[in-house]
Amino acid sequence: MSTDTLPSVDARRKFLGKLGLVAAGCAGASLASGTLGAFAPKANAATGPVEVFPSKDYDWTKHKWAFGVDANKCIGCLRCVEACKTENSVPGNPHQFRTWVERYVYLEGETHAHIDSHQDPVNIAASGAPNKYRFANRYQNTKVEKAFFVPKLCNQCENPACVQVCPVGATYQTKDGVVLIDEKHCIGCRYCIQACPYGARYFNEERGAPDKCNWCYHRITRGLQPACVDACPVGARVFGNMQERESPISLFIRNNRVQVLRPEMGNSPKVFYVGIDKEVS
Amino acid sequence: MPKHITRLLMLIGGALVLALVVRWFVIPDSFHRFGHFRANSVIEIAAKERVFQGSAYCSTCHADRHAQWSASNHKSVNCETCHGAAKGHPENGKLPIPTDTVALCTLCHEAMPGRPQTQPQIVVASHGADQQCKTCHNAHAPKIAAGPVKIEGDVAAGRKLATAECASCHGAKGISPNDTWPNLAGQNAAYFVRITSAYKSGDQQDVMMTPLAKALSDQDIRNLAVYYAELSCAEGASTRVDRTAVEAGKSLAKNCAACHGETGIGSNPAWPNFAGQKAGYLINVMKAFRGGLRKDPMMAGVVRGLSDTDINNLAAYYAAQPCQPTKR
Repeated sequence: MSTDTLPSVDARRKFLGKLGLVAAGCAGASLASGTLGAFAPKANAATGPVEVFPSKDYDWTKHKWAFGVDANKCIGCLRCVEACKTENSVPGNPHQFRTWVERYVYLEGETHAHIDSHQDPVNIAASGAPNKYRFANRYQNTKVEKAFFVPKLCNQCENPACVQVCPVGATYQTKDGVVLIDEKHCIGCRYCIQACPYGARYFNEERGAPDKCNWCYHRITRGLQPACVDACPVGARVFGNMQERESPISLFIRNNRVQVLRPEMGNSPKVFYVGIDKEVS
Repeated sequence: MPKHITRLLMLIGGALVLALVVRWFVIPDSFHRFGHFRANSVIEIAAKERVFQGSAYCSTCHADRHAQWSASNHKSVNCETCHGAAKGHPENGKLPIPTDTVALCTLCHEAMPGRPQTQPQIVVASHGADQQCKTCHNAHAPKIAAGPVKIEGDVAAGRKLATAECASCHGAKGISPNDTWPNLAGQNAAYFVRITSAYKSGDQQDVMMTPLAKALSDQDIRNLAVYYAELSCAEGASTRVDRTAVEAGKSLAKNCAACHGETGIGSNPAWPNFAGQKAGYLINVMKAFRGGLRKDPMMAGVVRGLSDTDINNLAAYYAAQPCQPTKR
């Protein structure tokens, strides 16, 4: 490769250098003038007093939320599903939900589980109303080897695939570890629904945006439990702050052998399970 | 500077300004404050109003129910799980009291594969016939208290004590001469012990009975219980019978049958027999449960919905039933 530079190449290099200066100058001028306004809040945040975010009573840097599910305790009453729908204005039909409960039934002599949830036609028929849910007692006359219920919800992953694929930044992870949806900013492309390995999202036509569990962010930031945790009559759902050593969730994880769903996907879920089989994913 | 270079620079400058203007329009306020998202949306989501208010909210007005519930096995089931979310209550009206308790209670208590053994479960077809759960179970205190069933005592000692202490009011043979005092002849011994002990401990109060029961030892109470259980109640049969009231009471009594039997002969010796019992006494007892003077969460729940007429009719029905001496 020749070290000599042709006159034309030299000129081009000088030109590009000048162009770079001009561009930097333009950007600098626009920033300094502040006429565009868009950067004003950023400047305030950097220089103003330390502000507690997102509300004056709640600092999201002092929390790291996590969720526990003890499937050994779940009785499949579906009170969590109904409570969630009420608390979060989820449409009153069986097919759109933020949380759900699956039933795994191993019949005698079979190696694979029969799986159903509240949206199975048999269970819909047993409930009697589109906004009421119940598990039909469909296995009472069969020989059941093993059966259990598994509550499911958004895993609020540490590495959320849904956030990664969102083209506009309408779904994101908060500092306290919850994945939220900005339905005003969402363009409704539904990539996030496709990306979630757990099927935790549904599309809410009324809002024109996907919806999913956010651990009742409006409740937990006020010091309350998520609605499903409050509604669970048997304590199968546990919630708390991982930054506190004696919080319910810290104790749950420390005192149990816990696992997460689909660890091989690399999303690092923050919903920890006790009492589930390998078939649950 | 050559002309074409100036033009190029102007073009680039124009494109830059345009890009910044578009950016200003398209990127919302607070977008990059914490990252690639709109920081204000966190505030918006966190500011959402909650719908479920929590059981502490209910206790401000419903303190009595709250106290009963929070002492019961059902304390893990929040008020709003059965009554619905309390947002807007009481301003916008009452919250529902579930009517179809079979549908509600079986959500958790229907025997089903997959439910853990620790969960109380019933086979719906063979439990309580087609009655509503709340007929027998108070939802705020569902567990039915089962006292000791077998009572060991000395009949002779009981007879001696009864003659000295009880006969003046409850009759020489346990048949009371007064419509408002109960017959004791043929009463279940376990029930007798439970109630007399409640007077002794102060759990149940009565001007007459409290001081008398306090003077008795536990063994005295057991002796009296077995003595009265052995006596025949047949002589206590009521003579005045109001046919209409009895008929009205009979249909109401279906709600009591699961525990107290069709005619007031109960299935569990810890519960009273009151077939052939004094009507005035039965009326007083039911009103005492309703008013909270007698404290039994089960009975309080059952009697809550009864009117004075209902109570009179029920009492007339049971008073008119043939009493049977209990054989244990």
